[in-house]
Amino acid sequence: MTNIVELKPAALMTVVTMRLGRQMLAIPASALREILDPLPVTRVPTADRSVSGVINVRGAVVPLAELRFAFGIPEEPRTDASKMLVVEVELADEPMIVAISADAVLEVTELDRATMEALPPKGSSWPHAFVQGVFRTKKGLLLLPNLSNIFASLASASGTAAA
Amino acid sequence: MDDDMMAVFRQEATDLIESLERGLLDLSDQPGDRDLINAVFRDLHTIKGSGAMFGFADMAAFVHAFESAFDLLRSGQAAVTPDIIRLALEARDEIIGFLSEQADPDGRRAAILAALEAAVGATGNAVGTAPLPEAAPTGQAHRLWFRLTGNALALGARPDLLLAELRELGATDIRADLSEVPALDALDPEVCMIGWSMDFPNGITRDAIDNVFLFNDVDLRLEAPQAAVDRVPVAASDPVPVAEPVSAPARKPSEEGPQADKGGATMRVAAERLDHLMDRVGELVIADARLLQLAQQSRDPALMAAAEEISRLAAGLRDTTMRIRMVPVRSMIGRFRRLIHGLSETIGKPVSFIVRGEETELDKTVIEQLADPIVHMLRNSVDHGLESPADRAAAGKPAEGRIMLEAEYSGAEVVIRISDDGRGLNRDRIRAKAIANGLIGADTILTESAMNALILEPGFSTAESITEISGRGVGMDVVKKTIEGLRGSIEVQSVEGRGTTFTLRLPLTLAIIEGLLVEVAGERFSIPLAAVQEIVELPADRIEEDGSSDFLDVRDRLVPLVRLRRMFSSPGAPGEFQTVVIVRAGETRAGAVVDRIIGTNQIVIKQMSRLHSGVRAFSGATILGDGTVALILDVPHLAGVGQGVEDRRGVAA
Amino acid sequence: MTKTVLAVDDSPSIRCMVAMTLREAGYEVIEAADGKEGLEKALSHHVDAILTDQNMPNLDGLGFIRAFRQHPESKGKPIIFLSTDSADTLKQQAREAGAMGWMVKPFTQPQLLAVIKKVLG
Repeated sequence: MTNIVELKPAALMTVVTMRLGRQMLAIPASALREILDPLPVTRVPTADRSVSGVINVRGAVVPLAELRFAFGIPEEPRTDASKMLVVEVELADEPMIVAISADAVLEVTELDRATMEALPPKGSSWPHAFVQGVFRTKKGLLLLPNLSNIFASLASASGTAAA
Repeated sequence: MDDDMMAVFRQEATDLIESLERGLLDLSDQPGDRDLINAVFRDLHTIKGSGAMFGFADMAAFVHAFESAFDLLRSGQAAVTPDIIRLALEARDEIIGFLSEQADPDGRRAAILAALEAAVGATGNAVGTAPLPEAAPTGQAHRLWFRLTGNALALGARPDLLLAELRELGATDIRADLSEVPALDALDPEVCMIGWSMDFPNGITRDAIDNVFLFNDVDLRLEAPQAAVDRVPVAASDPVPVAEPVSAPARKPSEEGPQADKGGATMRVAAERLDHLMDRVGELVIADARLLQLAQQSRDPALMAAAEEISRLAAGLRDTTMRIRMVPVRSMIGRFRRLIHGLSETIGKPVSFIVRGEETELDKTVIEQLADPIVHMLRNSVDHGLESPADRAAAGKPAEGRIMLEAEYSGAEVVIRISDDGRGLNRDRIRAKAIANGLIGADTILTESAMNALILEPGFSTAESITEISGRGVGMDVVKKTIEGLRGSIEVQSVEGRGTTFTLRLPLTLAIIEGLLVEVAGERFSIPLAAVQEIVELPADRIEEDGSSDFLDVRDRLVPLVRLRRMFSSPGAPGEFQTVVIVRAGETRAGAVVDRIIGTNQIVIKQMSRLHSGVRAFSGATILGDGTVALILDVPHLAGVGQGVEDRRGVAA
Repeated sequence: MTKTVLAVDDSPSIRCMVAMTLREAGYEVIEAADGKEGLEKALSHHVDAILTDQNMPNLDGLGFIRAFRQHPESKGKPIIFLSTDSADTLKQQAREAGAMGWMVKPFTQPQLLAVIKKVLG
């Protein structure tokens, strides 16, 4: 047992990678509850477009978040590859279940935190608060979003102009 | 004594203190009621008994004196007076102090007891428990002879156990004395005719022997050493009593009391577990709706029958679970009566507080959140609603003001009315105040009820001098908000010079409600049916919006329309036939324009995620039979939007 | 064989304390919240001994004992009368009603066990 621990230092992080448009994102496996084929979505009128729907996850009403808008990624039509990732994140110290839509789920992989880079100050339209860091991989730039910050901004600002 | 038991005791004590308070207040209304006196006495007695068991010796002594005073009332040696009730209520408060281990540095408790005793005319008679006398064995040999008498065997005496105990005390040479045993045909098997004798070589005290025979009728002789020669007495020198008949004296058990319903076995369950149960039942209801739909699609009669059976069971389970969560209004009444009793004394307005329908039950959560708003309204009623005795006399009213709290079922709602027979609302003053506060324009014409409703607005107060008891209007907006938060409504009626009535309408339960399922541009929404007043067709010429004043004339009343298609930015154009669902929140009405009505159904309310906390249009979500989510329209919000339409009309006019 | 004790008291905390103490000592305990329920249980269950409070709604301790003693099932079943008063008149009444013994509240767990042991062995 000790050997295994030594082989997997704390700097390694297991993530599931997903695709939104042409961008790869990493979701920490520790936050991931399950990956679902797309479920019927109920639109929430007047809600922010980043969290414009809810789904029924085995009897629980769970909001469906679109991370693409936070990162300026254009919308894509739903395909067979589309998935919903159910994650549990802390919001104001309380756990919350949110589903994230993905254009595709790619793989489960391990990332070395030591290779994580901060977002370059220029040349990116991504809000810094929404990004924990980026990884350079063979397949391209992998974005590790700061889910807590993204959801916190949604929770405080959701609701567009209601009538 | 572990923590669990202590928790049981504390809960019990809390219940008893509450019951005691109720009893005392009832007694102040019906001082001659013997049943009430007995009930108070019994509460005190139980508090004393269990308090002593759980280490509250001081409290037990205090309650004992309290109880002694009531014993005189019980035995008819003294009569209930208002003074006694007041002191008894004070004494009751001290019991809470004992339980929370508050000190009594000023000797207040003794003073209350002394006053109570004086009021009852009691002479203080403290209880004395006789300490068991202790005496050491003499060290000299003793001889004991005994025989059980009377119906000892029938009462459960066990000679074998007695002999075992005596043996433990050092008895030797135990011999049976059969001299009294009659011939077999004369033998009464239920009377013990055998005696026993034994030696105590190391001596024995009379106390130790008495302790062994503590529970037995017995003939016994303990002989000093010199007399021990006489080993077996041929005949007892004491006259042996004739065996008493075994059957106990016939006496009818007392008649079943009116409180028989309270005697049922109850079990305390953590509220959290009930919540979990409710959640599970909610899920079951949803799964059941789904099953029913699938079964109907299958057109398989056997499957349909099974699904309907499950449906019936699920409905039963849902009702039972909801009933478990129901708490009678009575559970908060004690607090109210106490409040009024106290206020009435403090501000010198005699008040009779009448409660009706206290057995009406509401969901636990509703009751818990309702207590504070009602306290506020009752304070207002006593402080501002009722006139001073002098003013009442001048108005030709009885000096004693009347405040009434009535609760009753009304469909899926409970209606609670709090009324006083006081001066009523002064509309001129409300109007002036509302104009001063900018709530209404100087020339605004309001209906009576709209005028009354102004006192529920934030920061509204008409009382010229806000007393320390309450400020009329201060906090009434909070009351309104709390009631609406419970998906209820509040209305004010008032007749000047005759009194004011607050009417609260509350849903029976918060977890499962009847919903009206509607469709708007292919999307389904649920509207709480309790809020739906009426459903009307939208006239063809009104399908298109009509500028700023979008109203519908419903039976000569204008109802502002809220076009859900527009509010929800729905795609496409409205069809030829649109339906208006008229909803009401308190005094405000609005007509929600929808494409069509799908039907009514039971909905289990799920909270909206925090990610949707900014979305005001929906109060929750529910899962439909086909597994999809439908949002529940927030009726107060809809009404508010309608109000906005009305306001725009005001501007346009 | 396990002995069964019926504990009749309107105070849940005392019932709880009695039941817990006796169960720990290996007795079976049946509980009843008043004399009426006590009588029903005493007649419908096998009980070896009964502990009863006096002041209870519906049917008090003395009433319960008297009613129970009218039934032949009651023969040989010891009843211990629990009372907050040590007044002799009440003890006398209890004895006349058919109680075998009494205990004055408050009592401790060891005292309770001693009394039960005394009547049940």
